[in-house]
Amino acid sequence: MWPTAKDLLDNLQIQGFASQAFMATSDNDVFGNTDEGGGFGFTELGLNALFSPHSRLQLSAQMLSRRAGKDNTGVPRLDFAFLDYRLYSHEANQFGIRFGRLKNPFGFYNDTRDVPFTRPSILLPQSIYFDRTRNVGLSSDSIQFYGETSNAKWGDFAIQFGIIRPIVDDRDTEISLLGPRLTGNLSPDVSLIGRGLFETPGKRFRLAVSGIWFNADYKPGVKEAGLINPGSIEFSPIYVSAQYNTERWTLTSEYALRKFRYTDFDVTDLDILDFYGESFYFQGEYRFNHKWEALIRYDVLYTDRSDRDGSEFAALRGKPAHSRFAKDLTVGLRWNITPRIMARLEYHRINGTAWLAPLDNPDASMTSKNWNLFAAQLSFRF
Amino acid sequence: MMRTPNTKHLYILLTMLLFVITDIKAESHYQIVTHPSVNEDSISKNYLRAIFSMRPRAWSNDLIIKVFVLPDDNPLHHSFAKEQLGLFPYQLRQSWDRLVFSGTGQAPTTVSSNEEMRLRIMNTPGAIGYLETAYIDDEINILQIK
Repeated sequence: MWPTAKDLLDNLQIQGFASQAFMATSDNDVFGNTDEGGGFGFTELGLNALFSPHSRLQLSAQMLSRRAGKDNTGVPRLDFAFLDYRLYSHEANQFGIRFGRLKNPFGFYNDTRDVPFTRPSILLPQSIYFDRTRNVGLSSDSIQFYGETSNAKWGDFAIQFGIIRPIVDDRDTEISLLGPRLTGNLSPDVSLIGRGLFETPGKRFRLAVSGIWFNADYKPGVKEAGLINPGSIEFSPIYVSAQYNTERWTLTSEYALRKFRYTDFDVTDLDILDFYGESFYFQGEYRFNHKWEALIRYDVLYTDRSDRDGSEFAALRGKPAHSRFAKDLTVGLRWNITPRIMARLEYHRINGTAWLAPLDNPDASMTSKNWNLFAAQLSFRF
Repeated sequence: MMRTPNTKHLYILLTMLLFVITDIKAESHYQIVTHPSVNEDSISKNYLRAIFSMRPRAWSNDLIIKVFVLPDDNPLHHSFAKEQLGLFPYQLRQSWDRLVFSGTGQAPTTVSSNEEMRLRIMNTPGAIGYLETAYIDDEINILQIK
C-alpha cells in the first residue's frame, strides 16, 4: 500500500535553533574584535529536517549559518545531508548504513557541536573541539556503518565506522595546518573515522573511544613551483571519553592524543614535523532544578606534548612559547527560561593562546599569555 | 490503658494492609499504552528503553513506531522515565537532541496532557505512550513489561 500525502507529512520532522552571543576578552580576539569592549560577533542559526518515508529508510539534512570571526562569515552551509538505511532491526539491536555528508562521530559533543542546547557551555572545551580547524572536524562526505546492541544487565553498545573524505579547503584550516605564507591548496584524501560507545542501563556511566585517520594532500600555488613539493599531512587523533550521571551531577572528562606527520614537502621546516598533541579536560555540571544549572571545567591543550611549555618551538621559530599551550578554567551558569529559550553566562581564565584562531589574531607576537574571556548567550529552539 | 493482644494484632494487620494498598497504588497509577495496531502484549524492559531512546524505528509487523511523551518537567513523565526506563528526564532529552541534531533520529512527540496523550495514542497507528490509569479505556492497549 502506498502512503498517502498525510502519512508522508506525519513522517516529516522539522526543527531549528537561533542563538546570539556577546563576548568580551581582556586581550586577544575570539570571534571578532572582542578586546575593545566586546562584541556580538557570534551568531548560530540552524534548520533541520528529517523524513522517514519507510520504516527502514530515513533522509535528513541540516543547514547551518555561523558567524564567528573572520573564517565564519555567516554564509549558510550544508552541515549534513544523508540517507540512512536500516539493514537489520530486532528489538533493541540495530544495524545500518549511512551515505552522504555526515557529522564526524568523535568524542561526546562533536556530532552536535553547533547546537547551543546540546553543549555544556557557550564555548566547547577548545582543547578537543577546536574552533580554528573546525571544518575539518565537523562533517565529511562519507559512507558509514553503524550498529547498536543492548543487554539488560550490562547496558548498550553502539559502534559507528566511516570511510570519509574530509573538508579541508577553507583558509583557517590551511593556515592552521601550514602557516599563513603558503598560497597553495589542501585537498582531501581517503580517511577513516570510528567511535565505540558503551552505556550502563541507566546511562549512569558512559564511555567512548573514538579515532580518526585523516589524510590531506597539499597542491603548491603557481608561484611556489620549485620551492615546495606536493606533500601530505597525516593527522590521527585518538579520543577517550568518560561520563558519570546522577540526578543533579554530570561529571565528564575527555582525553585526546593527536598525531601529526608531514611528509614529502621537501621543505625542512615542514618535513621535520612529526609530533603528538595532547588535550584533556575535567568538567562538572550541577542541576539545581529544571531551570538552573552550573558548570565548572578545567581544560588543557598542548600543541606538542614533547614541548609542553613551547620553549623549544620559541627558540626554533622565534614565536611566543605561549602560542603552544592553553589552560582554561571556566565557570558558567545556564538558565532554561522555557523549554525553548535558554540563557547562559560564562567566564574563562586562560593561560596560553594555543587555540586562538590565526585569522583573528594574525600576529602571534601581539597576543597576551594571560587573558580572560566573558560570554553571554541567548538561544531559542523550535 | 491496657492493650489487648487482639488490638495489637489488629494494628499490625492494618499497617500491613496500608503497605499493600500503597503498593497497589504505586503499581497501577499509570500504564504503558499502545494503539491496538501494535501487535505486542508484553515487551522486555530493555526493548522499552530502546524504544523511548528512539533507536528501533518499526514494530515487528513493520509499522513505524510513534513515541509520545509528556513534557520534561511533568511529574508523570518523571515517574515513568525513572521507574520504567531507569533514566532521568534530562538524560532522555539529551539523547533525543543528539539524534535530532546529528540527523540520525527523531525526537518523540510531546503532548501537553493525559487527555491529549489518550487521543493521540487512540488515533495514531503504531503509537506508544503512557497514561494515568483513569484515562485508559478499551480503545487503548496496555503493554506489559516483562
